[in-house]
Amino acid sequence: METQNIEVDILVIGGGTAGPMAAIKARQKNPALKVLLLEKANVKRSGAISMGMDGLNNAVIPGYATPEQYVREITVANDGIVNQKTLFAYAENSYAMIEELDSWGVRFEKDENGDYAVKKVHHMGTYVLPMPEGHDIKKVLYRKLKQARVDITNRLVATRVLTGPEGQVAGALAFDCRTGVYTVIRAKAVILCTGAAGRLGLPASGYLFGTYENPTNAGDGYSMAYHAGAELSGIECFQINPLIKDYNGPACAYVTGPMGGYTANARGERFIESDYWSGQMMQEFHQELAGGKGPVFLKLNHLAEETVANIENILHGNERPSRGRFHQGRGTDYRSDMVEMHISEIGLCSGHSASGVWVNERAETTVPGLYAAGDLACVPHNYMLGAFVYGRLAGESAADYCAATEFAAIDAQQVEAERQRIFAPLTRGQGLSPAQVEFKLRRLVNDYLQPPKVARRMEIGLRRFEDIRADLQKMAVSNPHELMRAAEVGFILDCAEMAARASLFRTESRWGLYHYRQDYPERNDTDWQAHVQVRKDRSGNMQVFKRALEPYLVELEEAEKKVYRQLRIQPRQTNSSGDHYGV
Amino acid sequence: MAFNPIDFPVKVNLDACIADKGCTVCIDVCPLDVLAIDPATGKAGMKYDECWYCLPCEKDCPTQAIKVDIPYLLR
Amino acid sequence: MDSALTDRLSHADPIVRRVTLLSLLDELDPDAAEPVLIAALEDPARDVRLEAAKALEAQDSPAAVAGLLKALEDIEPAVRAAAAQSLSAVKNPAIGALLLEQADNADAGVRVAIFRALRELRLPEATLQALKALSDEDAHVRREAVAVLGWLKAHSALPQMVVLATSDLDAEVRRAAVGAIGFSAEALVSSAVQSALADPDWQVRESAAAVTGKLGLQTLAPALIAALTDSHWQVRLKAAHSLGRLREGGAVAALCGLLFDPVSNLRKEAALALGEIADPASIDPLLEAASDPDPDVRKAANLAYCRIRALLNLV
Repeated sequence: METQNIEVDILVIGGGTAGPMAAIKARQKNPALKVLLLEKANVKRSGAISMGMDGLNNAVIPGYATPEQYVREITVANDGIVNQKTLFAYAENSYAMIEELDSWGVRFEKDENGDYAVKKVHHMGTYVLPMPEGHDIKKVLYRKLKQARVDITNRLVATRVLTGPEGQVAGALAFDCRTGVYTVIRAKAVILCTGAAGRLGLPASGYLFGTYENPTNAGDGYSMAYHAGAELSGIECFQINPLIKDYNGPACAYVTGPMGGYTANARGERFIESDYWSGQMMQEFHQELAGGKGPVFLKLNHLAEETVANIENILHGNERPSRGRFHQGRGTDYRSDMVEMHISEIGLCSGHSASGVWVNERAETTVPGLYAAGDLACVPHNYMLGAFVYGRLAGESAADYCAATEFAAIDAQQVEAERQRIFAPLTRGQGLSPAQVEFKLRRLVNDYLQPPKVARRMEIGLRRFEDIRADLQKMAVSNPHELMRAAEVGFILDCAEMAARASLFRTESRWGLYHYRQDYPERNDTDWQAHVQVRKDRSGNMQVFKRALEPYLVELEEAEKKVYRQLRIQPRQTNSSGDHYGV
Repeated sequence: MAFNPIDFPVKVNLDACIADKGCTVCIDVCPLDVLAIDPATGKAGMKYDECWYCLPCEKDCPTQAIKVDIPYLLR
Repeated sequence: MDSALTDRLSHADPIVRRVTLLSLLDELDPDAAEPVLIAALEDPARDVRLEAAKALEAQDSPAAVAGLLKALEDIEPAVRAAAAQSLSAVKNPAIGALLLEQADNADAGVRVAIFRALRELRLPEATLQALKALSDEDAHVRREAVAVLGWLKAHSALPQMVVLATSDLDAEVRRAAVGAIGFSAEALVSSAVQSALADPDWQVRESAAAVTGKLGLQTLAPALIAALTDSHWQVRLKAAHSLGRLREGGAVAALCGLLFDPVSNLRKEAALALGEIADPASIDPLLEAASDPDPDVRKAANLAYCRIRALLNLV
């Protein structure tokens, strides 16, 4: 297989949301730097926002919220397990980022006097800024990338971060999913922006690509960071979302909420206080289904025709525009019908929950020269705007790092070992198809990791995952496209194993449904007010350990702590599930 | 379908498609890289059944030659 | 530029020229691509001109803007629309003067795009043209002109804007104008908002109810209380919210009634407004609402109750 060598100062892996911002900001910080943006798909339409975004969930706008309020809100929303410094770094840069994106041509909703039209959806503060014209955001980013003279390479699948003699970053390895060309990229700094692990659980439909996240995001960066020796954090805090059943995309209650829509039970009654996504909300959802009041729906049929038309305009033109034709195919009309919702399969995503590569307030991981931003970087609930802010921080930090760093030597052994590993399925001739191995792996993830969690199940799951690890050596493919899918199965497996081990390690329940342990149903702050970290140790084993919380910068009031835990003011009348957690 | 008689989500109107003149817009923008030129017709079509029904191919096609259906398993 | 590219750009087949433009920005440096795109705006083939106009979106150099402005006169409506769309994304205030020259373009779609661009640029020098456009024959143009003036918070425009807010034939223009005058609490605004509260269109009434609270128009409290019985719950909801902002004691009885409205969104808003007004008379109804079937209403009622109790203890 042909090999291509590239040398750059900064390599950004992932051209979705955080990645373009990181690349642009690195170039702006030091225009002399050679910055390469590497993308598995095509930067024009890649990542979570390929078709735009219909709103900001976490805008910290003066007059509506302060950074302190926001940090408190997320500390409470994530049940205390946060590094507040990272939240502050987001919150304090949030408004400047909105202003900058606005100046680039990204359109946020404004009132008739041109002021941001911020809406309240969260429990305490006011953070939602709709983007009814947010469909063009990738176009704007692409324009900025070209203006900043960022080098772009599309259809390259990065598989491993190269490390130098001191464990620092030396570059990355990748292959072209069309030509199969093996690519060795030497770089002083690598910024991982590869998005969520969105292909972890298997959707109830059984369709491998029927995921909430862009299925290109298979957890590549989680796996690459792990193998590079970086710490990952909060992996047991899964992402589980309330989604349109079967379509498996968001109904975007936070878009419809300010217009009067809400999540309802089968009687059309609201059963949760806030449509802000949290583990607690998912627990409520789960209980409503178990309690016989389900299914759960998005209710819009009480709204006026004009409002519904406006909602259709936004939801069917943005983020997941095929929602409209899905509803049409089922004969569902918002005017007369409620939209059936369900609980999604699990994923890892710090954009929505908290599972990611451990970063500090400068987007540095624990590996020198390795940075992370966006859905895969552990900055709880940081959403799209957090990806932009941390993209900026990562780009600027990496630019500073490059100024004081020389290239690390490339380890020929690493390059060769990865070549053998990654291209093996092309040479086997006969074997298992990656699609089948992936299907089975993700079905096992559902069987053994979907909450409620219990130790025995997860232990069996780990054993089954080991069987799949052996199956990786039996996969056979006939072209570079299938080779990409084979590589992704490896990423998914690493994520599954991390998810199981981190979940087993935290012997308490926390974050509502995200980490509900049936064998440890209570939250235990005495022992578990700490991060759970995953890392590859020197002998190549997966190590799980506690990391103490940094002291809070903002203290919480008692009343605030209970907000998410006590969503339900009245005790439940029906509860056949037998569990009492969170009631 | 361009590559296969099976009902795939991405439908290409072969009369409108200008891939045979060098256009690769839909093939470029597909996040999953499931589209390709069908060597038999020179037109774009679905090569891999891995569609996320996300619609960049349909939206960005300069001649509006594409219509994406929801995959059968989800319909 | 390599010769293969040059060949494709001058190929006899217009589809080949078009396809070449589609990927031009991927292949060339933006500075190298721009003159090629500007030249292509003069191509004999419609689709080539269309693609060039699209590709120049947000390009803000004088040459690109001049090219796009010229394309506004293209014989093909699709090219004109694309050029207008591309101009409307320009974020450089330096081109404001050039845009203003097109404010009376014969094509209404172009005028809409021009004013949309001007809205984003917030140029005070656009005031005069926008004022003129308030009497444009096309409602979409009037609506965009209202936005330009609203974003500028143009005081000089108020006399004309209140006329639109109360008597434009198009409901969307009236709705936008009511919102746009919501930066000044002077008498002419207040009386326009009052008459908008009785507009035949519910969205205009909804907007007027919101503006009343935003501006603190205390004299309109009776009209807001009347709006609590509006046929549309959305209007009732905004009226309740605004009465809370006004801390209007006269609304307590009516708001207590809304605590038991069939629409839960409205019950919640009424509870929150009662918390703002903080009249002890609302304590009992709020306690009743604290066991509403809807958790969001219960939370609002509890918040309101706690707030009133805290205020009473302070006194």
